[in-house]
Amino acid sequence: MSRFFATGSDSESEESSSADEITPKAPGTTFKQSLLLSDDEEDTKRVVRSAKDKRFEELTNLIKTIRNAMKIRDMAKCLEEFEQLCRAFLKSKNIVDKEGVPPFYIRLLADLEDYLNQLWEDKEGKKKMNKNNAKALSTLRQKIRKYNRDYETEIAAYKENPQDSADEEEEKEPEESGSSSDSDEEAGEEGVSAKAFLKKKPEVTPDASKFLKSAKGSGDESSSSDDDVDDEDWGSDSVDSGSESSDDGEGKSASLAVVFLKKTQGPEKAEKKIAKKKKPKKKERLEEEAEEEGGEEVEGGWEKVKGGVPLVKEKPKMFAKGTEINTAVVVKKLNEILQARGKKGTDRAAQIELFHALAAIAAENNLGQGILVKIKFNIIASLYDYNPNLAAFMKADMWKKCLDCINELLDILFENNNIFIGENIAEDSENLGISDQPFRVRGCMLTLVERMDEEFTKIMQNTDPHSQEYVDNLKDEGRVCGIIDRLLSYLENKGSTEEICRIYLRRIMHTYYKFDYKAHRRSLGLQGESKSEQDQEESEGEDSAVIMDRLCKFIYAKDRTDRIRTCAILCHIYHHALHSRWYQARDLMLMSHLQDNIQHADPPVQILYNRTMVQLGICAFRQGMIKDAHNALLDIQSSGRAKELLGQGLLMRNMQERNAEQEKIEKRRQVPFHMHINLELLECVYLVSAMLLEIPYMAAHEFDARRRMISKQFHHQLRVGERQPLLGPPESMREHVVAASKAMKMGDWRTCHSFIINEKMNSKVWDLFPETLRVREMLVRKIQEESLRTYLFTYSSVYDSISMETLSDMFELEIPTVHSIISKMIINEELMASLDQPTQTVVMHRTEPTSLQNMALQLAEKLGSLVENNERVFDLKQGVYGGYFNRDQKGGYQQKQGYQRDQKGGYQQKQGGYQRGGYRNQNQSNY
Amino acid sequence: NISRKLTPVVLKIIKHYQEEGQGSEVVQGVLLGLVVDDRLEITNCFPFPQHTEDDADFDEVQYQMEMMRSLRHVNIDHLHVGWYQSTYYGSFVSRALLDSQFSYQHAIEESVVLIYDPIKTAQGSLSLKAYRLTPKLMEICKEKDFTPEGLKKANIGFEHMFEEVPIVIKNSHLINVLMWELEDKSTVADKHELLNLSSSNHLEKSLQLLMDRVDDMSQDIVKYNTYSRNLSKQQQQKHQYLQRRQQENAQRQSRGEPPLPEEDINKMFKPPQPPPRMDTLLIAGQINNYCQNVKEFTSQNLGKLFMAEALQGHN
Repeated sequence: MSRFFATGSDSESEESSSADEITPKAPGTTFKQSLLLSDDEEDTKRVVRSAKDKRFEELTNLIKTIRNAMKIRDMAKCLEEFEQLCRAFLKSKNIVDKEGVPPFYIRLLADLEDYLNQLWEDKEGKKKMNKNNAKALSTLRQKIRKYNRDYETEIAAYKENPQDSADEEEEKEPEESGSSSDSDEEAGEEGVSAKAFLKKKPEVTPDASKFLKSAKGSGDESSSSDDDVDDEDWGSDSVDSGSESSDDGEGKSASLAVVFLKKTQGPEKAEKKIAKKKKPKKKERLEEEAEEEGGEEVEGGWEKVKGGVPLVKEKPKMFAKGTEINTAVVVKKLNEILQARGKKGTDRAAQIELFHALAAIAAENNLGQGILVKIKFNIIASLYDYNPNLAAFMKADMWKKCLDCINELLDILFENNNIFIGENIAEDSENLGISDQPFRVRGCMLTLVERMDEEFTKIMQNTDPHSQEYVDNLKDEGRVCGIIDRLLSYLENKGSTEEICRIYLRRIMHTYYKFDYKAHRRSLGLQGESKSEQDQEESEGEDSAVIMDRLCKFIYAKDRTDRIRTCAILCHIYHHALHSRWYQARDLMLMSHLQDNIQHADPPVQILYNRTMVQLGICAFRQGMIKDAHNALLDIQSSGRAKELLGQGLLMRNMQERNAEQEKIEKRRQVPFHMHINLELLECVYLVSAMLLEIPYMAAHEFDARRRMISKQFHHQLRVGERQPLLGPPESMREHVVAASKAMKMGDWRTCHSFIINEKMNSKVWDLFPETLRVREMLVRKIQEESLRTYLFTYSSVYDSISMETLSDMFELEIPTVHSIISKMIINEELMASLDQPTQTVVMHRTEPTSLQNMALQLAEKLGSLVENNERVFDLKQGVYGGYFNRDQKGGYQQKQGYQRDQKGGYQQKQGGYQRGGYRNQNQSNY
Repeated sequence: NISRKLTPVVLKIIKHYQEEGQGSEVVQGVLLGLVVDDRLEITNCFPFPQHTEDDADFDEVQYQMEMMRSLRHVNIDHLHVGWYQSTYYGSFVSRALLDSQFSYQHAIEESVVLIYDPIKTAQGSLSLKAYRLTPKLMEICKEKDFTPEGLKKANIGFEHMFEEVPIVIKNSHLINVLMWELEDKSTVADKHELLNLSSSNHLEKSLQLLMDRVDDMSQDIVKYNTYSRNLSKQQQQKHQYLQRRQQENAQRQSRGEPPLPEEDINKMFKPPQPPPRMDTLLIAGQINNYCQNVKEFTSQNLGKLFMAEALQGHN
């Protein structure tokens, strides 16, 4: 609207009015908006220039009320409104500065002054006025005099040219009438110039109908109003707007916009025509209305427009016909669109469309890549903006659009070496136009890509991992990786170190959890057959290990933020562990000292740390480092919250402990399903490690009173197994391990082996390892060794001597191995025996106390402590010997009292004692 | 006060345990008989039925009365003279036993409790003991005073809690005939149980139980320890307070003011709840019991071992 004023299109009464019809109403309900958006460019226009519009709308509204007050000679109201008007005008100062003082404002000032003077002269009327009004009149008169001094020139100009003013007023009134339907009657009563009045009537109806859209007439009306303009301007328009489609319906619909735009450049012509035709036009319109009332086709046509070609229509609206489309204009337009961003009534989808259109225009007019890049940036940004809620995830198709956009943007960037992008380039120091200088565009590619990646994670988090949809979404991961790779190579040339570190980390994040099958096979020397490597095309020719190494080392050297480095180290360790490079992984973990300070890190990093530890433990297990595996997994497993600690799910029991907000935050931290570590595998590895450690230990320390358990969880499982009333064949993984443990306790390695490694366990656990066979072999070996140890611990008291050959047969181990195991046990003083080399036998020394002796020792110990306690009681008595007697003498009476109390409580005491006894008995049995 | 028993009672008790008791589970029953001169003759018995938690409404007293009435109908001794209970490795000294024996003895002066040890019996020596509460203990139980002071005043130790009553078992001729017949039927292997040398199993069990009791004992002692420490601390405080009060009063007196009123010192220094000592006593008794058992067992076994050694040497 303001633009019309700015360009001085005073008399384009109809068009501006029809534009205004919408402007005030548009911000209303969304329903209306969506309805309008489909075909009414006015709305979008309003959207674009909402800041300006808002101000001016405010002013016009105020002016209207003032005029109304003038009519009824309500001076008090007039004064009040005038003051408000001044304030509003001040507020819109910067817009006014840009656009110049709006003529309607001047007009009001002039009119008001005249009016006041007139009233002032009218002594009679003044006398009739009540006190309030009279007072207001005088103040207002003084005020306006003072105020008008600032606008003397304008007012003078206005007074010189009252003709103009009349026109303006005409325009003004319909505007007002349109701007709010409730003011219609008022406006009517106002009884402005007859012309305006006449004009208004037809206007009002279309307004309402248009918005409601229910009445058939609405379509007719709007189209009719189009039509009558068409009558005048259609011919020229159609010529001008070459880009418009030739389709009749479209042309028609577009015509309205065209007319507008047309006006701006050639106002005089249209003005005259309209001025001349005002009256006839009205008549015409009525006729047409009548005609078209019956005709359905027009309605149909209108409908078509609505659903039809918004894009085509937008273009003319974007830029006035014939405007030279240059960079500055496009940038201005872009900013206009941007201003609507984040506003309440803004339709985000439409905005994205607008950007696209703008990009098309820019491309069409060869405005250079700079502007295109800028627009693309904005498109992506508005795509991200599409979801107002940060927690909600983008729709997959939106996200894909975004991917495309980023890809295109990267294309441009790669093709044109002379584009500089940076988030620190100020808005005004941008260089978007084609010139010798390189383009400079504000924006950060990295942020966009990072956001895109995060959105990807969010999408994955919010997709059911067992659906086809998830698989489909996951296929896009390759594209994400592709983009990251491209950006990486781009930034390697142009970006700062920090940016490189960030993009490296992204790359690492997408690499570390994937097992590099290609490298694995290569290491096994199985290069031959062709495998499906589509998912690793990006690392073609290079092992992921090499990539990880390169990227991580760069980060270690260059990164200055601690977080990126921490993440990189963890990912690096994870990757090492995943590929069974245990020593590298362990050394890196130890060197990083992360264990000491990880508790200060933020939760996502802690989750990553937990994941890494778990992976490290599993790696150790695969390598046969049972103890290391156990230690690495202990923390995670012993808490019983492995799921939560690994970010792979929320625990139900915590539901009441946290509120919805926390839950949302935690949900956002979850690791997408495809990165999960198999929890059953984890638990099985842990339990088996615990079994291999714990069972020999238990056997060795059977009678040790102060025996500590290595793994609480394992013991818990054992107890659960014991509590089963009926022991069937094991079903679950845990039952298998428990059954195996029991077999191992007896030194029966064969049964143990068959429980640990069988069909069920293979499918559940062991087949999940990349080197299944090797792991299983290792496992069998470990079981044999530990069973041998257990056997020796448990039954050494039975033997006087045992031949190593027998042992070797029993456990299917080679004699040297048996020899070494027994030697180790002897050296560690676990086994009281000696080796008799010539006969290859183990001779037991039988120095181990028998169980009865052990028991007696324990009893002696206990009795010792009992005596000690007893002595303490005695000491106490000795110490307060005097006091004791004193009490006896003095407190005779008190004692009696106490005695009574005791009697009263006797029954309860007895009961309590009874219960306690029972409780103790329970304890005993547990013991 | 000698109790005299007829074999059917013993056989019935053994049968009862064999049929219903297993492991550490305890079987109980009622003894019937009459007092003759200074002897208590136990002539019959019947078991309490084992009942589980779910038939809690089972009325034991009713059952007993019914049983005794029925017995009277068939002209068998029906006077209630005590009860019997099986035991597991001699662990019978408990609060429950004390309470029920007290109530028996309270109601029927001459009643005894018979303790039957099936494990020992299985090893070849019939173990059947009759106990009564000592008059002292009866006194204490009547007054329900288990405070340290009360027990101290009664001057009772664990050794004076129960008195063992000598048992004389008398067989009727019919029973003797039955016994002979049974002995004939029993296999040879059973006879040699007597000479079984493996002792560790029994000893281990006893030791384990002994250890548990010792643990309980030390817990109780620790409890008592803290109690006496608290008490002495409080005594000290009370003492200090009284002294201060005395001083103050003396001062006031010298100034001619009336002395401060005596406040209820007990309210200010509430003595700590004394721990009941009865449990400790019982535990001590139980420990004593175990020790006796172990001693007996070991001495028997030692004898056997020496005998075995001599035999071996002879060969």
